[in-house]
Amino acid sequence: MSAPTRREFLARSAALGAAALLPRFALGQAAAPQAATAPATTLPPDMTIARWGGTEVPTDLPVKLVREALGALGGMGRFVQKQAVVWVKPNIGWNRKPEFAANTDPQVVGEIVRLCFEAGAKTVKVGDFTCNEARACYENSGIAPAARAAGAQIVYLDKSRFRDMTIGGRRLKEHPVYPEIVECDLVVNVPVCKHHGSTQVTLAMKNYMGVVENRGFFHQDLPTTIADITRFMKPRLSILDAVRVLTARGPTGGRLEDVKTFNTVAASVDIVALDAFGSELLGHDPAKIGTVAMGAEYELGRMDYRALQLKELQVA
Amino acid sequence: MSRFRVRTPTVRLRRTVQLLVLALFLAVVLAARPQPGQRLPVWLESFFHLDPLIPVVTGLAAHAVQWAFLLSVVTVVVTVLLGRVFCGWFCPLGTVHTLVGRLFERWRPARQREHWHRGQLAKYYVLAALLVLALFGVQWLVLLDPLVILYRTLTVALWPAAQGGVESTATAIYQADPGVGTWRVTSVTEPVYRTVRDLLFVKQQQSFPNSGFVLGFFLFITGLNFVQRRFWCRYICPLGALLGLLAWRPWLVRKLDTGACNQCDLCGLTCHGAASTGPGTGWKPQECLGCLNCTSACAAGGLKFRWELPWRHGLAPERVNLSRRGMLEAAAGGVVAAMVLRASPQARGATFHPLLLRPPGAADEADFLARCTACGLCMKVCPTGGLHPTLFEAGLDGLFTPRLVPRIGYCDYECNACGQVCPTAAIRPLPLAEKKAVRLGLAAFDVGRCLPYAYGRNCMVCEEHCPVPDKAIYFAPVTVTGRDGVPTELLRPHVDPAHCTGCGICENVCPFKDQPAIRVTSANESRHAANQPILGSGSGYPF
Ligand code: SF4
Ligand code: SF4
Ligand code: SF4
Repeated sequence: MSAPTRREFLARSAALGAAALLPRFALGQAAAPQAATAPATTLPPDMTIARWGGTEVPTDLPVKLVREALGALGGMGRFVQKQAVVWVKPNIGWNRKPEFAANTDPQVVGEIVRLCFEAGAKTVKVGDFTCNEARACYENSGIAPAARAAGAQIVYLDKSRFRDMTIGGRRLKEHPVYPEIVECDLVVNVPVCKHHGSTQVTLAMKNYMGVVENRGFFHQDLPTTIADITRFMKPRLSILDAVRVLTARGPTGGRLEDVKTFNTVAASVDIVALDAFGSELLGHDPAKIGTVAMGAEYELGRMDYRALQLKELQVA
Repeated sequence: MSRFRVRTPTVRLRRTVQLLVLALFLAVVLAARPQPGQRLPVWLESFFHLDPLIPVVTGLAAHAVQWAFLLSVVTVVVTVLLGRVFCGWFCPLGTVHTLVGRLFERWRPARQREHWHRGQLAKYYVLAALLVLALFGVQWLVLLDPLVILYRTLTVALWPAAQGGVESTATAIYQADPGVGTWRVTSVTEPVYRTVRDLLFVKQQQSFPNSGFVLGFFLFITGLNFVQRRFWCRYICPLGALLGLLAWRPWLVRKLDTGACNQCDLCGLTCHGAASTGPGTGWKPQECLGCLNCTSACAAGGLKFRWELPWRHGLAPERVNLSRRGMLEAAAGGVVAAMVLRASPQARGATFHPLLLRPPGAADEADFLARCTACGLCMKVCPTGGLHPTLFEAGLDGLFTPRLVPRIGYCDYECNACGQVCPTAAIRPLPLAEKKAVRLGLAAFDVGRCLPYAYGRNCMVCEEHCPVPDKAIYFAPVTVTGRDGVPTELLRPHVDPAHCTGCGICENVCPFKDQPAIRVTSANESRHAANQPILGSGSGYPF
């Protein structure tokens, strides 16, 4: 696969019709100076997909997949500045054990934390506004122990600390958001790929529901409100955990029969593309998924992820 | 003019022990919080297990022996040997009474008679009535057992109030973010707040309905110290009475050297239990709390505690004399109370209160009431803060016993904490797999409010949160035509009674915050076959 030339690069932004937004949405801010100084041929891809191609699955497979996917995307250093404060935002919504795939895989989270530190981050915070009781979710999902072991700071979101912020969206004008997340230098969005009763899938865009209070409001128009909050959050790096995938009875699950092993981790600077890929994994046409369609309409990224600079890896 | 105070090493030691035990009690209360994925330690219940009144009364009422209460044998043996030192040195509520009594001293006349009063017999009659009540299957320790009262008050009233204070102060500082130059006050308050929150709070913004009544009762009985100090211990406490009976002939007795006594009555003035009949004279071991104020206060050095074999000492004339008539009256009172307390239709099994969602593993109502002392331990450890003290939903008999209030908190699918800690097994300790199969009630949609039914909008929050793997809520697609004549596709949710456990999370998350459009009632609860309508079995629904 050939890396884009500068011309192609610009052409693509024109195609997106959002040249001004491009550094933010298509490449990530850290990428811009790199692209300016480095030869064009080293321009890293926009999206990587790491799949397990081996036979016997190693126990630390999620770790391997994350390393490969991130490495191919240009490394964590592309996003994390030295001394940065990073918020890793997994899905820790439910009081379920890891094998039920209702939450992000703890190994995936742990490895991302380690990569952030390796890239020079000063502080890595891990937290989510959970659906079930936070302490139970954090511990039983395995995420808090894994993140703690990797040196992250575990943050419980405090109800009274949410602050009304101007979202300026179609539906969300003002909404309570957790300030500590917004104030970080970088938010790494780490959703788990799974089925969802109302949105059919829950992926990276929907994962941002974990930074807001009063989610009941969202449920009255999920695609629009989710697109609103996604735009507000200015996504730069999203990593989709599709190692174990809950394929039915989501988002809570609870039956091992519904959990399939896809042994895949995908990373992208384009959140819509990543969600389109995740939708396909779950057997849906991305265009029919409300959040993905709305994300494309909002020009937060492109639905046709294959048209991006895409790198697919077989890990073995 | 402050009244005479005893300050000797012995009395200081006793006060220190009292304060330490009270602090320990508070620590054990605060330590009772769910630890994800871990069993709760049994010592969280230890104070209750030291209390011999609970196994006697609940045992009689429920016809069951509970081995955990073997620990109370320690209390019994100590009491037989040393007298009511449990009351004087150990009982945390007794210590609270001591402290409150001390506080009131300032406003009381300087000298007050602290001698034995016939009214002190009342507690023995309370005990008798309680036991008769228990024989009738009615257990009413809720307002009578000191440890239960204190535990519940701390759990549902005092501690939540303290937590609220900490939270609102920290939030106020956080929002104002005051500081000097670049230095912020929050750089100190936030870490402190977070530590306290993570180590001591069960749930953010935890609070309990009816806590005002719980607190009111506590303030009332502690306020009685204004009338006389340790009023509760002297006149009411049935545990004190039970221990008093055990202290009929203790091995450690108070001895007066009549030659030395000059009738100054310093001993009487300082007596916690009102155990002597007059200046320097007779002493009733059943009433003595072993506080050692008298021997320490005696300037003449005429009072001493000495070991003496019970069959050697001649305490008989000083014994508390319970009249046969009084006993009969107490028993009659117990019978009447049993009738009145059990007069509630729920207790008779004639009806089921829709809001009475008992914790998972709760015995059937009659047995539950025979065991549950309303101590509040289950309410303390419920991680969602879903268990709350009833007022009259369970009848007077069930005052302050726990019920799940889904609007406030739900029963977590992965939790069985309440059964782990219940000291009397009113909530049985169920393995998680078994607990998951227990039905607390049944959810039902209020189709006059539910968004897809009443307002033509999809919603689905309830379905999303339903923790049952097979999902007790499912959707049926419909097309409805609105006011504007435009047809809309909608998904309307239904409850499948074959899967619903009544955990209440659907009610908890419903966007209607005032009156949820899906509500759980006690129908279909596993505890009562009589409270189960004939429901579908998962196929062939009319929808
Ligand atoms: S008799 Fe003496 S030891 Fe007993 S309660 Fe009274 S003051 Fe205390
Ligand atoms: S059910 Fe709750 S309140 Fe009742 S005795 Fe058990 S722990 Fe105490
Ligand atoms: S009611 Fe449910 S959530 Fe609460 S302590 Fe009991 S088992 Fe746990």
